Amino acid sequence: MLEIKNLKASINERSILKGLNLHIKPGELHAIMGPNGSGKSTLANVLSGKKGYEITGEINFEGESLKAVSVEERAQKGIFLAFQYPLEIPGVNTNNFLKTSLNSILKAKGKKELDTLSFLKLVKEKSSELGIDEKILSRQLNVGFSGGEKKKNEILQMKILDPNLSILDETDSGLDIDALKIIAKGVNSSRDDKKSFLVITHYQRLLEYIKPDFVHVLSDGKIVRTGCGELAEELEKTGYKKIN
Amino acid sequence: MENFEINSDQIDKIEKITTKEKDFRVKNLKLFQAAGFPNKNLEDWKFSDFKNIINNNFEELKCKSHSETINKLDLIKDFEHNYIFLVNGNLYSNNFNYEDINKIKINSYDKSLEHQKTDNSLIHLNHALADNGFSLEVEKNYKFKKVLVIYNYFSKNIKNKILNNKSKIKLNENTELHIIEYTINETHNKFINNSYENIYLCKNSKLRNIYLQKNKSEGFFYKFVKNQLSSNSNYLNFIFSSGLKFNKLDIECDLIGENANCNIMSALHLGKDEHQEIKTFINHLQPNCKSYQKVKNVLSSESRGVFQGKIFVKDIAQKTDAYQLSKALLLNDNAEFNSKPELEIYADDVKCSHGSASGSIDEDSLHYLMTRGLTRENSSKLLVKGFLNEIIEIIKSPTIKKFVETKFEEQIYGH
Repeated sequence: MLEIKNLKASINERSILKGLNLHIKPGELHAIMGPNGSGKSTLANVLSGKKGYEITGEINFEGESLKAVSVEERAQKGIFLAFQYPLEIPGVNTNNFLKTSLNSILKAKGKKELDTLSFLKLVKEKSSELGIDEKILSRQLNVGFSGGEKKKNEILQMKILDPNLSILDETDSGLDIDALKIIAKGVNSSRDDKKSFLVITHYQRLLEYIKPDFVHVLSDGKIVRTGCGELAEELEKTGYKKIN
Repeated sequence: MENFEINSDQIDKIEKITTKEKDFRVKNLKLFQAAGFPNKNLEDWKFSDFKNIINNNFEELKCKSHSETINKLDLIKDFEHNYIFLVNGNLYSNNFNYEDINKIKINSYDKSLEHQKTDNSLIHLNHALADNGFSLEVEKNYKFKKVLVIYNYFSKNIKNKILNNKSKIKLNENTELHIIEYTINETHNKFINNSYENIYLCKNSKLRNIYLQKNKSEGFFYKFVKNQLSSNSNYLNFIFSSGLKFNKLDIECDLIGENANCNIMSALHLGKDEHQEIKTFINHLQPNCKSYQKVKNVLSSESRGVFQGKIFVKDIAQKTDAYQLSKALLLNDNAEFNSKPELEIYADDVKCSHGSASGSIDEDSLHYLMTRGLTRENSSKLLVKGFLNEIIEIIKSPTIKKFVETKFEEQIYGH
């Protein structure tokens, strides 16, 4: 699914990722943990194709290099990034946006685009599955949403766009326990032997609800340890300092 | 074109005028000739050098008004409406089939000679030469059932013309009227439209007015609007007049009765070499009045948007609530936005605020939308639309809102 080899990324001549290797197979859920400033969000940004980074190394998605692939093409190929800080887009209706987004992805895949009625049916189904109040979808995209609503909206987008690889950038931070469960439910209900996840988090808390296949510790731009679920528990007790 | 001279025999050509009217016109022509077209040395014109713009765009200018016959009126089919059809400013036809016509007076241009003093030479020119337009009066206690569309149609053969129109709208007590002023442009040639409008709202009357264009135009438009708002009257003006080569709207609003309410909302999207100015002067002359202005500009390549907004609060106008905000989204390094807010306040118990902000499109927002599969171009369009939507959303009627939205998008993207 995703293969990263010796990835280096810098911004404004400041080096952030310093030779990162990661291999995610279809159906796997990987968690990346690490202290502040270790490069977690940079990894998410680089995978989404965000401009402004100097990049060397290889990123292959489903056997194809992403080097020359634009942000929207990555999305169309099935990469989804749930933002740490989802942006507020005034004047843009959430439902209209979601429909445009879904249809541009369906179109790129050569699939039939959805009409408004079938789209709304899909939204209703997915939002009730997650226990999200549909009303927020008739509002402007993320405008005036609470922190929890923004994150839930990201997960709803993930459910609707149905990507092969979902990257969750600190989706759990700032959430209360109920919202956390909704997020976890969104992820768990999507897991199958084809879909992969990269869950970036500070805390072990989320991993009590989402069981990872692998846990990696990112420190100073590199993965310094890899283990299974127990590694996260160990980190919770010892902190990141001991790991280095 | 360096010098623009008008012979006083132009006035002799105007039909059916009294000696008094003629004197008024001659006096105003002299004032215009002494001053010429306004230029950037005048504070009111510092961002829109009209003289220079006219010199650069016209070899010659002809003043004679231009009447024409139209075979078929191309009317809006999206909703039922009354209409006034102006051809080059001339009252060509009107239809108030949805209304009680006994309650409505409609005439050709406003012949009144009572106008406030001004040092604006374009108004002098208008006073001297305007011989068409319309005058509309609504009898008291009458509320319009359907919207009134004022078609402002410019025909093919008006090359190098300067058209002077003068209009008046008077709403008597307890009346209500919704207008869409819809400009249609048939010519590909340059022309100037210099119009002057008086709007008088009596007690408890309500006017909604939407300015909208059907298509792009090579026309150079200047419009001066004088609004007088009596107590408890309510005025709401939407300006969506994108796609004009040059447009300056000079809106003066006198709040002459308590609890009068004035709202000016604008959403503009200017393209290459388009120049548009909105200048407002809101006079709070009585207590407890409200004024609210919000101007949003999207400026693409080499376009220029200007907002000059002045709020004056007289010493007796306590409890005034006045607000003014202008925002510009610049899509190109060669686009320019000038904003000059002014507050002049002589009362001590008032709430007045103003703000102005301009910037380019937010890269992070673009990135967010693109990660959802939208192209950069479509993401940008969505953000621009969102920026302007804030104004369009205020329109209450779903049919009119849809119509405005569609026309607006046609102007911006040409489809």
